[in-house]
Formats: sequence, C-alpha cells, structure tokens
Amino acid sequence: MSDERGIPRREFLKSAIAIGGTAAFSACLGREEVDVPTGPDDLSSYPQRQHAWNEVLPRDDHGNIIAPSHRVLLYLNYRRDGQPNEDDRDQVETALRGIEHAYERSGDGLLLTVSYSPAYFYRFDDSLPDDVDLPDPEALAPFEEPEFDTPDAVVHLASNTAQVVLGAEEALKGNKSTLNGVDQPDAALTDVFSLADRRTGFIGDGLPAENADDAEGVPADKVPEDAPLFMGFKSGFKKNQASEDRVTIQSGPFAGGTTQHISKLQLNLNQWYNQDDRWQREAKMFCPYHAENDVIEGAGDNLGTSSKIDDCQPTDETAREMGVVGHSQKSARARDDDDSPLILRRDFDSTDGGAASLHFLALQRRITDFVDTREAMNGTDVTEQSAVGQRNNNGILQYIRTERRGNFLVPPRSLRALPPGQPAGDAQEVTHESS
Amino acid sequence: MNRRTFLRQGAALSGGLLLSGCLGQLGFETQSAWRDPPLVEDRPDAVYYPAIIEGMGMYGTTTAGDLGFALMHSFPHRFWNLTGSRKTKVVVQSDDSVHLMASVWDTETETILPVDVSVEISNSDGRVSSTNLWPMISPNMGFHYGDNIALPGEGQYDVTLQIGPLQTARTNPFDGRFTEGQSATMQFTFDTDETYNLEIRRLGDKAGTRGTVDLMDMEMVPEPVVPTKSELPGRLLHEGQSSDATILVALVDGDHRFSDSDGPFLIVSPRTPYNRVMLPRMALSATLDRGGDTITQGTLQASLDPDLGSFYGMGLDELETGDTVRLTVETPPQLARHDGYETAFLDMDPVEFTVE
Ligand code: HEM
Ligand SMILES: [Cu+2]
Repeated sequence: MSDERGIPRREFLKSAIAIGGTAAFSACLGREEVDVPTGPDDLSSYPQRQHAWNEVLPRDDHGNIIAPSHRVLLYLNYRRDGQPNEDDRDQVETALRGIEHAYERSGDGLLLTVSYSPAYFYRFDDSLPDDVDLPDPEALAPFEEPEFDTPDAVVHLASNTAQVVLGAEEALKGNKSTLNGVDQPDAALTDVFSLADRRTGFIGDGLPAENADDAEGVPADKVPEDAPLFMGFKSGFKKNQASEDRVTIQSGPFAGGTTQHISKLQLNLNQWYNQDDRWQREAKMFCPYHAENDVIEGAGDNLGTSSKIDDCQPTDETAREMGVVGHSQKSARARDDDDSPLILRRDFDSTDGGAASLHFLALQRRITDFVDTREAMNGTDVTEQSAVGQRNNNGILQYIRTERRGNFLVPPRSLRALPPGQPAGDAQEVTHESS
Repeated sequence: MNRRTFLRQGAALSGGLLLSGCLGQLGFETQSAWRDPPLVEDRPDAVYYPAIIEGMGMYGTTTAGDLGFALMHSFPHRFWNLTGSRKTKVVVQSDDSVHLMASVWDTETETILPVDVSVEISNSDGRVSSTNLWPMISPNMGFHYGDNIALPGEGQYDVTLQIGPLQTARTNPFDGRFTEGQSATMQFTFDTDETYNLEIRRLGDKAGTRGTVDLMDMEMVPEPVVPTKSELPGRLLHEGQSSDATILVALVDGDHRFSDSDGPFLIVSPRTPYNRVMLPRMALSATLDRGGDTITQGTLQASLDPDLGSFYGMGLDELETGDTVRLTVETPPQLARHDGYETAFLDMDPVEFTVE
C-alpha cells in the first residue's frame, strides 16, 4: 500500500486499521506524528481489572470519557484440543507483556482486554463458578436470527493512535522484533491461537463522516461532519453508562473480571438519513420530548453529562400519545436500584465487509444484565399496548439488524492467559462495592 | 402509458433534468419525475385520486410453515413516512432500483398479518442489501410492507423474508398462533424491462378528487381488507368517520370468541373508505358515559381475528340504550403512505355516538 496517493492523513489512518498488516503499520508510522511513550519494565502496578480503562482515558469538557478511537477485535481459536498447558499460558502472557512494554497504558497508548467464550470453558471438566454468568449467546429479540460467535478468545485492542493498534496486532502475530523501540519477545499469540476473524472500527468526532465512503449505501453527505457515530449522535454520557465497579464481578476466583457481549449490528443509514427527518431521528434515538423541544443541538454535546432522559415521559405514555418511543428512553428502563445503567458500552462503528455497521461491545457484571437491557430496548411490552411497531417507531430497531452475537468472560489480569475453568483461590480484587 | 414514456413526459412537467444513479448505471436516463413526481395541487384532507397509479408486478409467493409470503415489485416510489401524526416525504434516491413489497398471511384462514417484515437480498457475490420494510398503504395495493431498494444491477437474487411474532392480541381461533418468528426464502430476477415497463395510469381530471382506484387483483395473495358492514358479528352500533377513515362499531353479547371474560364486547373496525382496507397500527381508547357520568374508560386492544382481520376491542360490563360511547384516536394508523393516502387518517377526531 503506497502512502503517496494523496489520501488525506486522517482518512488514511482509519482505512489503514481496516486493512491492517505490517505495510499499513509502517505507512502509519510516517503519517502519525506522535511519540507514544513506552510502557514500564515492571507491569506489576497494572490493575487487576483488564477493563479499567476509564482512569487513563481523556475526558471531554463535561467530564464524559472519550472512547478510544481506533479498534481491532481479534477472534482467536486455541490450537490445542482439550485443556491448555502451562507452556501455552506462558507464551500468551509473554506476548501480551511484549506489547505492554512497548506502549504505555493510556488513550494515546494501548488499551487491551483478553476474553474467553463459553465454548472455551467447555474444554474443562468443571463448569465455571457460580459467580460467573456466561451463557452461550442466543437471539435476544423474537425477530432476529443472528449467527453466534464461538471462537475461544477475543483480544480487544484500542488506542487513539492508529499505529499503536496496528503495531500491537502485528507484534502479537509475531511480525515485529521491535515495537516502538522495544524488543519484542520470541512469543507470538498466533503460535497458540489461530485467527478466526478480525473486526475493526472507529469512534470519535468526525471519523464516521470520513469513513462513510468505505461502505455501501451510506449517504456520505448526510452523516454529520462532527458526529462520533454513524447515526449522528453522541453516545456514552457519564450518567448513562454503568461504572467500571458496577460491571465488575465481585466474588470468586474471577473477581475483578467482567463479562462482555459483542454483537455486530448492521446499520440502515439510507432509511435513517433519507427517509426520516431530524425530528424523527431525535425522537427515535432519544425520545419525543427531546424532538419537540429542540433539546439536542447537532450531535448532542450540549446535553452535558447525560441524555436528559428524565425529561422524557414514560414509554407507555409517549407510545400511545405520540406513536413513538426513543431508544435511550426505552433502554433507560433497565437500571438498578441506584438508578445506574447495567451495562458499560464500549461500542464502535465499522465498515468491515464494505457495510456500515456497529460492533456493539458491552461490559456488565453478568450476561443477564445485558439480556435485560436488550429486552428493555426491544420494547415488546410497549408494542403490545400501542401503535408502536416491532421496529417501526420503536427506537432505532428499524435501522439495525443483528448479524452476530457472542458472549465472553474478561477474567482479571492474573488469569488473562488461558484461564482454567475453576481457578484455585480468589483473585486479590479490592472493590468499592460489597454486593 | 408505461414508465418510460411517463419519464420522458416528466421532463416537460417539471422542466428539471436529473440523472438518477440506478438508471444511469443501467444505461437509462431519468428525469426528476422519477425522484419526486408531480403532486396534485389542492389535495383534500382525505383519500384522493393521485396523479398516477403505478403498476405492480409479482415476483412470486411461497409458504413457510402455515404462513404465506408474497414478494412484489414496482419502480421506486415516493412515499410518506409516519411517526405519530408527523409525516416525512421520502423521495426516491438516485441509486434506488426497485420498490420491493411483501405481504404475509395465514394460509389456513387467508388473514393478512400485520407483522414487520425484513428482507435480506444476496446474489452470487454475497449479500447486496438488507432492510426492514415499512408497513405501508397504497391505492392499488392497500396494506403492504415495502421500501425502495438499491440493487447492484439486473440479474437473479436470493431473498430471505423474515418476520417476528404478531405483536397484537388475537382472538380464540388464533390462540397460540403467530407466537414465533418465521422466515421464507425466494428468488427473483430484477429485470429493468419488466419493472420499468410496468403500466402507469394517469388519472387525468380525477386526480386530486376524493376517491381511489380499485385494489389490484392478486390471485395468489389475500386482499388486505376487513369485512363489510353486514358481515360484522353482533349488533352494529355505529358507523363513524374520522379523517376520512370509516369506523364501524359493533357489540357482541352472550357467548363469543372475542374475550375470555363474559359480558358484552365492543368491536371497533376501522377501514379505508371505498376499499375497506385494514387499518392496523392505531392506538384507540373508549369512554363510556351514562347519565352524564363516565362509567368506563380504557384502551382498546389491537387484535387479530380470522373473520374480522385487524380490529380493536374491549370487554364491557354492560352497555345500555342511551349510553354515550366516545372513541378517541390517540395514534392514527402508523403506516407509510403512498400518494393518495398521505393526507387522510392523520388528525383524527374522536367518534362519538349514543347507543340506541
Ligand atoms: C446503532 C446502535 C446504537 C446507537 C447508535 C446507540 C446510541 C445511543 C445513544 C445516542 C444513547 C443516549 C446517549 C448515551 O449514550 O448516553 C444510548 C443510550 C443507551 N443505549 Fe444505545 N445505541 C445503540 C445500540 C444499543 C444497543 C444494541 C444496546 C443494548 C441493549 C444499547 C443500550 C443503551 C443503553 C443501556 C443506554 C443508556 C440507557 C440509560 O440511560 O440508562 N444501545 N444509545
Ligand atoms: Cu409501498
């Protein structure tokens, strides 16, 4: 891939992620003028929670976490049948440490998690401890027929710097002897795992508009220039996200871990932008109150730290009186006794396969929390009592089609390399919650 | 007249020239008539004859389980999308190739099902398009599901039609039916000669006047209509009008299939004027007054019955002569509208009558 074709720098970087490989990586090096600090020699201070990203991520003016903009998901199959052995564990841990030494743990540096599927844990005689709620993936709406992801593991790489994601990936594949000036171990993740799938994506102000040309059927001129997601609105406000504490497993050997659901949602942006108007988009994404009262400016940065969902009427009322319920309005019905959402969304857009889609990656203490949230979002109860359709005028269900679903356990850091199904003893997790 | 002659004349109508991608790609030139054809001036707030009636072609029908599925095509259409009583005009996009339509019914009773349909289209290169169709109403098709779809070109396509369970209630004979999703696969060949040569009828002087054309005769597909007045069960209480919808109200008493509880049952059967096309996706409620006091107030349950089709119902304790019934339309039928229906069934006034 030549970088001399006059592709604008940012545009180049995001397509580089989608393409991947060492060539894309070296091309990135020349284009991104960043100097990412290396990681420490001693990684012992790194948190047990692999998902503890928030403390090192930048925040916007309102204090909302800014999600890392470049992403890669590596779906991996363990090469060995039966239970993993210590050599393989060492190999995995060594490979992971290699990239952690190369890049500091930060938004501009590298954030990663390693997670394992129910299929992986079936290789053990003992089932997972009761503290871990990790069922096989299933369809979560009566009108969807997703395929299920059953590879053994998923590595999630994230950074605001494209070359970091690509470099880390290449090193994990054993393609780099040095990374960011740091010698890499002679241990590749791909010696232990085969690559089953590679998914990529982006999130952040302006990135969807820049990526619009890479996908079929995206009305490129309609995706707002500054929107962080294809559908045009800001997402992930502080008060509409579960905290990392809220999603952390509290007890047992996997304490400090979390569960992860990843779905691939196809987006119909033609309907969204060409067949709906702004009022409808606001009503369907947030709630009719927001649309009626012009609550949202542009992508919605003016909302501050929340989607202001308290201003919306109850879903059953707007359903009957306005014929529509909003996505945020419905989803906010899945909250706990402390009024906290149940899931921590770390989703991002994608043009994988040439189609606009969203990798909806969510963390929650139990997969059941995700299932409950998705049920609230389906709004089946609302459709039975109103003119709101199964999808039509039912939040954003009209515009998304679930293609794939997968469930994973993100174990605590000490167990991230091929964990056993029933590890001995408790992980030393100190949490602020007692439940 | 066919679509192409119409398109040539379209330039004269609107003066503008706009190259439309789908046809440009296929070697055709189209005018702005395609994108946003002329609308009749002074449309009444009622069902009216549009300027043109677009022909429709059948791709085929199939069954899956005890459900029938039909797939139909026409050239890309303008339509109006509805949220509450707010409508958005949807013009044809430059890369739209076809207006794809689907209907789903119970093969046993020939009842049209108001269940959302999604389609996934693929060819030998893999998936080319997937979309969730809009529930719609048009003069010659009545209630159907549809959307304008962009296809990469002429040729053969596989299509999977998928539905979820029926979201409304159902009466006794349908107990336990339509509770699960179902999908059906079909093939179709997109041939521009076939689709773009479909007949276009200009309605001339009639355009803009109240009325509508007959439903197209589709042999293999049940008509999306509800029963005539005389076919309604029980006693007809009232025939009302609201925003040009006809609203029939009947009362069944004694033993009936409409609810588990005893007592009279109020049936509300809204339909389009002229053709009796079903009007699902409404939210209705009823208030019952006796001697100046409200004695009952509640929502009508949207439901499906083999004889009544889509209707709205409510069980009552009793209904006496002299009682006043007031039906309020909280949400008008949430159906996307083709030309001829976009000004009707929107701001719907209540229907009120006294029981005789
Ligand atoms: C294309 C896909 C989606 C988009 C563009 C989207 C966008 C949004 C937006 C803009 C909000 C309100 C602002 C905020 O995030 O704070 C929101 C809230 C939310 N969404 Fe989504 N969303 C999508 C899919 C999903 C899915 C699949 C789920 C899973 C169930 C989900 C769950 C939630 C939850 C739990 C909230 C917060 C509710 C609360 O306040 O308690 N979203 N989403
Ligand atoms: Cu249609």
